[in-house]
Amino acid sequence: MKFKGKSFIAIVLTPEPPFTDWFQEIDRIIARSPGFFIDRPIVLDVRGSKIPIDELEELLAGLNERSVRVMGIDGVAGTRLKPGMPPSFSGGRLTSDVDVPEPAGGAGAKPATSEAKTETGGKAAANGAAVNGAAKDDGDQSPAATADVASVPNGSSIVITEPVRSGQSILHPDGDVTVIGSVSSGAEIIAGGSIHVYGALRGRALAGVSGKDGARIFCSKLDAELVSINGLYKVAEDFDGAFRNAPAQIRFENETLVFEELN
Amino acid sequence: MSNATVVVVTSGKGGVGKTTTSAAVASALAKEGYQVCAVDFDVGLRNLDLIMGAERRVVFDLVNVVRGEASIKQALVRDKKLNNLFLLPASQTRDKDALTEEGVERVIGELRMYFDWVICDSPAGIERGATLAMRHADEAIIVSNPEVSSVRDCDRIIGLLDAKTKIAEDGGRMPKHLMITRYDSERAKTGDMLATDDVVDILSVPLIGVVPESRDVLKASNVGLPITLSDENSPAAKAYMEATRRLLGEDIPVTIPEGKKGLLGKFFRGRAA
Repeated sequence: MKFKGKSFIAIVLTPEPPFTDWFQEIDRIIARSPGFFIDRPIVLDVRGSKIPIDELEELLAGLNERSVRVMGIDGVAGTRLKPGMPPSFSGGRLTSDVDVPEPAGGAGAKPATSEAKTETGGKAAANGAAVNGAAKDDGDQSPAATADVASVPNGSSIVITEPVRSGQSILHPDGDVTVIGSVSSGAEIIAGGSIHVYGALRGRALAGVSGKDGARIFCSKLDAELVSINGLYKVAEDFDGAFRNAPAQIRFENETLVFEELN
Repeated sequence: MSNATVVVVTSGKGGVGKTTTSAAVASALAKEGYQVCAVDFDVGLRNLDLIMGAERRVVFDLVNVVRGEASIKQALVRDKKLNNLFLLPASQTRDKDALTEEGVERVIGELRMYFDWVICDSPAGIERGATLAMRHADEAIIVSNPEVSSVRDCDRIIGLLDAKTKIAEDGGRMPKHLMITRYDSERAKTGDMLATDDVVDILSVPLIGVVPESRDVLKASNVGLPITLSDENSPAAKAYMEATRRLLGEDIPVTIPEGKKGLLGKFFRGRAA
């Protein structure tokens, strides 16, 4: 019998009174990104708040209504908890903040936050290698493999030196993605920073997914299905024809996407 | 509140014309004035959006909806020509494991409320994707070419329709229709191809239409228009229109497309004096 260890980054929710306002904030996040809380480890942090147990029960009920499943509660003695409540937790190390999806828009619902996921064992070595441009989901791997690519969270960038084919998804939530080659229709590049494509961009490009307005998309030939910066998106149908098939850059300005020709 | 009829278009074998049939039947139904939604279940190899000319307007897809990341209304793409025809596209960057049984059931249930007809384009094969596409269907259109391997695969799929669908599990039988596509009367005459009677014989499923091999189909799919919209006078489009009327319950005899004979051919039987 072996017990394996796994570490996940959990979202820590710290309820602040008045709770009605706090719940409104939660609802806003859910409205912006319906999938934000789904299937993620969530911990309720009530340390130092001396919250009465009845109020805690109401809080949990409110979260439950919103399909936010709490995995554990930090800061309450286990003996005070009622049966059926999530277990008491303590310890844990603080990591970097989890980004909340910013404005309303399409891409917010995509996996737009960094999820570091490491397993004890050989994965860590693989993660080191993944940054060398192998952050690719090659179709024959499970799609979850993209999420396993934990890149070095220091604003690093990855360079991909071959064409990104239809069905491939490059996910790099912590920095720029540079592709030397084309991005086929049906492929997608999701980057926390900017996206540079030295070739034709025919697929989808989602830049600035971790809430960066300053991210940009550059390509030698714009023929994309969809471009998005920080959740604000435009589909091919709505592009200005003048930029089609030309070198272009796309940036975010005053809540709109600005297309410019690159000379 | 309408309660849609959910039709799955399936074949087992790839390349027989499922997607062409789905697009053609969906647009023919929409032309008749029904509220229609075509759903692409081919996650990972989506093509229905291309055939329907909607690929440049896809934002969300079936996988997003199944996982609750987007609402159905957000994901539906309205057809440019017919405003009562919608497409729910498949995802290209995932695979069929991204679909969950509960999620698909919820999506189909919701679509039933909005539409009169839901046409599900099934992926090839007999694995998860295909079984999920047929699971909640009310009726099935089985697409076969007049050749043995395609017929055998259809036979296998018919077995699955009678075993793995919700209707079958509840003790019912799913109504099935056979659509023979890429039919070439000349080659059927010479025996290179199975005759329609033989196919119907082997599969013992009522025939809903015979679509002749036609250049117009390829032309239509390359410009992104379902054949029933792009060229109504083409023999293939006519066959699909007729099949759609049969699907709606009209009782009209199935016409087996004859080889191309112009007026000259009709009167001038090639009798040498």
